[in-house]
Amino acid sequence: MKPRFKQISPLICEFEWDSAASDELLQYQLTFKKNLQQDFDSEITELRLGFKTLAVILSNPLNSSVFEDWLNSINPEEISSSLPEKIWEIPVCYSLATGRDLSSLAKLKNINQEEVISLHTQPLYRIHFYGFLPGFMYLNGLKAELHTARKSIPDREVPVGSVAIGGSQTGIYPSSSPGGWHLIGQTPISLFDPKLPIPVFAAAGERIEFTPITIREFDQLARHPRKPEFR
Amino acid sequence: MIRDIGYLKILKTGPGTSVQDTGRIGYAQYGVPISGALDSKSFAWVNHLLKNKDSDAVLEICQPGLKLQFGAPTLICLAGAKAAIKLNGGIIASDGIYEIRESDQLEIGAFHLGSVLYLGIKNGFQSDKIMNSRSWYSGITSSQFAKKEDQIPYFTNQDYPSYTASKVKWDFNWAQKNVIEVFAGPEWKLLNKKSQELIESMQFTISELKNRMAVQLSELLPNTLPEMATAPVFPGTVQLTSGGKLIILMKDAQVTGGYPRILQFSEEGLSVLAQVPTRQIIKFQIKKSH
Repeated sequence: MKPRFKQISPLICEFEWDSAASDELLQYQLTFKKNLQQDFDSEITELRLGFKTLAVILSNPLNSSVFEDWLNSINPEEISSSLPEKIWEIPVCYSLATGRDLSSLAKLKNINQEEVISLHTQPLYRIHFYGFLPGFMYLNGLKAELHTARKSIPDREVPVGSVAIGGSQTGIYPSSSPGGWHLIGQTPISLFDPKLPIPVFAAAGERIEFTPITIREFDQLARHPRKPEFR
Repeated sequence: MIRDIGYLKILKTGPGTSVQDTGRIGYAQYGVPISGALDSKSFAWVNHLLKNKDSDAVLEICQPGLKLQFGAPTLICLAGAKAAIKLNGGIIASDGIYEIRESDQLEIGAFHLGSVLYLGIKNGFQSDKIMNSRSWYSGITSSQFAKKEDQIPYFTNQDYPSYTASKVKWDFNWAQKNVIEVFAGPEWKLLNKKSQELIESMQFTISELKNRMAVQLSELLPNTLPEMATAPVFPGTVQLTSGGKLIILMKDAQVTGGYPRILQFSEEGLSVLAQVPTRQIIKFQIKKSH
């Protein structure tokens, strides 16, 4: 589980793991990140996760041997703190009105729309990190049956709250944006609020669950927004 | 000091005028781009000459055709691109400090050298500070780019401002290099020897696709690298797309990406790049970071 260390520029470096994205690796990355933050608090401006990476932005150039020595000093077998138990419920209206590619994706996969919805709502998805757009969660856990290559020509505009599938991933567009993923539904929940000290509600390591709602419930929630609930 | 609010009114603008500062440090963990001045060197220079704080907000101007009116007295400072500039109809140089009186009008015309002009103001522009930055970004601040009739607040002094220090010369030539020093990116080693040599020897053209998010280079490279697990990217990261395009990420770029990161600009290199006009040629000089 020991990562490799790479110096990218005098102020940017990165730890990279060889294994594929998994709960186990994420658990290790989060513990590793916490330890790094503690041990280099005054030297680090920012730490950022990828599926297999942890990037470090330094406040001042630091000799790379400092991190290499630190890496050699840590015990790779060290028991890492477990992943959070929190599960966020994201209400999603799966329909052609709220997810314009629902029927074309079902056709591509040779299944019906109900099966798409059922396959998409079954798993609990793990939040690995945020990226792409402010408040966009990178999720792990999409069933292989739903893996679908991205569109060759991206859509000029994907509506805010769209729930979509691209490659082996699924995600929610926190703002309207161009995008190349297949839209299967939409959530009325707000995913990003720049006015809050922490602009997102969920943290890396927590999980989300998509719960189907009717178009009527969608309209109601869109008119009377509420905060997402967790269990 | 009494600090009254004055307003800078936009009478006319081309695309690409925005308020920028040092950006949003520490918010990439929520997917928020860093933003901030494209050319941090010229940005720092205007604040330095005005004796402002390092992080004070300035106006970043990327196109000619801007006309402004100041609602109250202040001091301003220009740096970055060399452009045709008029203050109340009279031609002035596009670098250095100017005293501004109520109702003064400033016009920015054709750019002769460089691509980005900075207009700093005494004590900085006072538009909304969100996530510790006033840098405009769609979905975070109320404006993304300045529009006609916009009013941008700043502090004004009761007295007429005066500036008596000796003139400091701005060197317009610093950004006129076409060889830019870059570092090997994390996926550089995955390229074959031939591709590496090609990138080190080739001349690249800045395409028309140049904005606050990214600069795309015109030339295509043979690319055999697959896409990778999504990883952090930074301003100055050079991505090699599956179609063989080179994309240099700028300050408003997204914070993660799935394309191989083959090169990384330094902050200084990024400032130079920001000033290189479209259709101009650049070359990479690859440096080892350690």
